[in-house]
Amino acid sequence: MKIYLGWFYPEFMSTYGDRGNIYALSYWAKILGINLQVVTISLKDPKEMIFKMDILFMGGAQDKQQEIVNQDLKNNKGEYLKKAIENGIVGLFVCGAYQFLGRYYKTACGTKIPGLSIFDLYTENPGENFPRLVGDIGIKTKINKSEIVVGFENHGGRTYLKDKNLAFGKVIFGFGNNGLDKTEGIFYKNTIGTYLHGPLLPKNPIITRFLLEKAIDRKYKRKIKRKNFDEEWEKRAKEAVIEKYIEIN
Amino acid sequence: MVFYLSIILGKLIVFLSQIFKIGTGSTWPGHLALLFDKNFLKKFFKKNYHLKKIIVTGTNGKTTTVALIKYLLEKKGYQVFTNEEGANLLNGIASCLIKNANFFGKIKKKVAIFEVDEFNISLIINEFLPEMVVILNLFRDQLDRYGEVNTIALRWFYALKQLSPKTLVFLNGDDPNLYYLGKNISFPVFYFGLKKEEMPKKSLSFDVDFNYCPVCYALLFYKKVSYSHLGSFFCQKCGFSQKGVFTFPLKDVCLPLAGIYNRYNLAAALLLLIKGFNLDAKEMIKLLKDFSPAFGRQERIIYQNRCFYLLLSKNPTGFNQSIDASLSFIKNKKNIFWIILNNKIPDGRDISWIWDVDFKKIFVVVKKIFVSGDRAFDMAVRLKYEETPFPLKKNIIPIADLKQTLKKILKETKENDEIFVFPNYSAMLELRRILVGRKFL
Repeated sequence: MKIYLGWFYPEFMSTYGDRGNIYALSYWAKILGINLQVVTISLKDPKEMIFKMDILFMGGAQDKQQEIVNQDLKNNKGEYLKKAIENGIVGLFVCGAYQFLGRYYKTACGTKIPGLSIFDLYTENPGENFPRLVGDIGIKTKINKSEIVVGFENHGGRTYLKDKNLAFGKVIFGFGNNGLDKTEGIFYKNTIGTYLHGPLLPKNPIITRFLLEKAIDRKYKRKIKRKNFDEEWEKRAKEAVIEKYIEIN
Repeated sequence: MVFYLSIILGKLIVFLSQIFKIGTGSTWPGHLALLFDKNFLKKFFKKNYHLKKIIVTGTNGKTTTVALIKYLLEKKGYQVFTNEEGANLLNGIASCLIKNANFFGKIKKKVAIFEVDEFNISLIINEFLPEMVVILNLFRDQLDRYGEVNTIALRWFYALKQLSPKTLVFLNGDDPNLYYLGKNISFPVFYFGLKKEEMPKKSLSFDVDFNYCPVCYALLFYKKVSYSHLGSFFCQKCGFSQKGVFTFPLKDVCLPLAGIYNRYNLAAALLLLIKGFNLDAKEMIKLLKDFSPAFGRQERIIYQNRCFYLLLSKNPTGFNQSIDASLSFIKNKKNIFWIILNNKIPDGRDISWIWDVDFKKIFVVVKKIFVSGDRAFDMAVRLKYEETPFPLKKNIIPIADLKQTLKKILKETKENDEIFVFPNYSAMLELRRILVGRKFL
């Protein structure tokens, strides 16, 4: 079973340690007996590559890098990315990448930057006088309602979903999309958009395995047998975050 | 009157905190002085107009660079004082002034070197104009506290614009972000760097924070790389490249500090001593042989007849540099490594950055890796996900508690063994307290 993981713009969109998501996918692919090939998709690469992928991933970055990437998406790869997501490709888009896929991003100075309009949501930065939403976050996701998924968020923009039922998760602690409506991220077709860094996947193998299993299911119509996995360290790492939250409250 | 009272009260606090060994002496006196009189610093420097004030900032290397400048100036007979490490905000600076002044607020020493927090340089420059400013480098560090590197660069730009044209500014010319910053300032700036032959790498690693042209935003091309995004760069699209960078023949110099990052710290110190004090580079290099590192920076601590080698590792670039430094002086292939990862407030709460450190190369020289600290298990997972023939699960031992880990390490090692420790900031202080018994030497 061979699948391709397309990693968008790693040299630009890697400010927040999101490379860890690639590590986690590669590690779990091996455990599950999947041959995972990681392919980077950057400025000079042809957009046709996107259709050859089984999983897509993009991380977050600083404003300047995002601007560079946004140009390439708008003028070049965006249309293919949209088609791939609409066709049900498995994807993970974190923070800046998540915001890109919405309708628009309004910056702190009020400029509206149009997004790819794949997700029906918009993001607004309320300005310098409002704090960034920073800290540990715990959510309950659609993928497994009984387990808390943890991460770290750090974003100035507030994201609002058109349809709150599409949220990736419900906030247990932390801010989520906007700090108000308890929604976190979006889960649209087979693609996840989220504010969770940390990075997301290493501490939450349940999400990692879900992405891999979904990709195998789509490509080979095969279910992967569940086994007892050794994930003690991952669990303890997650507990360290949750315990902190319980301590404070 | 308030001015003198502040000094007397401050000195009393310093005295008491030394007697009772409580760690408040480095910030409290200044904190109170500024509370009584917000113009305390301005008045102080007016009274001590003879003082040459040097500010050193940047993400990594501040403490070592301050120590290098101080050491070399003292060797040449200058009387120098500095603020304590970690006390790098206004209150820390005010405190060190109180400590070094007499009861009339006068300081006899001639040179003050201040290590300044990279986020607050503007606040400091508002209070007094330094004669010299050194900016070492700019990497991402504690994104949740400081923000992204471009935010910091912008803050520095505004801070530098406040300076008088007489101020000597020294910037890292191998950092494209800082080089560009210097080019946008209306008065002359001096750049330090390394010779291209001394740069060890051909391409960029993953921990870079600035890899695009600051003029036209095309991806920068590097002829050679020192580490992270420091190197010999040029833009193939618009021709942006560095010119007029001062370098020194450091290749064959035997430094008491390993690692290429310390060569940059030394280059910064040398350029400042040449331009600001008319000293001779060759003579300075000769004087260096007895220099000993600041605490936690490649510091050796003997504990129960074992040698603990402390390599402060608090952000991705710093960690990669510590790994490279340790590999350069490791003697055998069966070493004990100890990584300590905290996420207390001075460390930054977010530990995502550990995924940008390249650990792979350590597995060929280790026997066991102990992992501890608040976020020990995050680090254990980080190591577990590496692809290596090294039996990870068996030889990585995560235990959150430091003292418990230490016990295990003592059992695992014998006398005269070396243990390589990679702590982040609060972890380094915590470990030193256990090994040395006190916070500071």
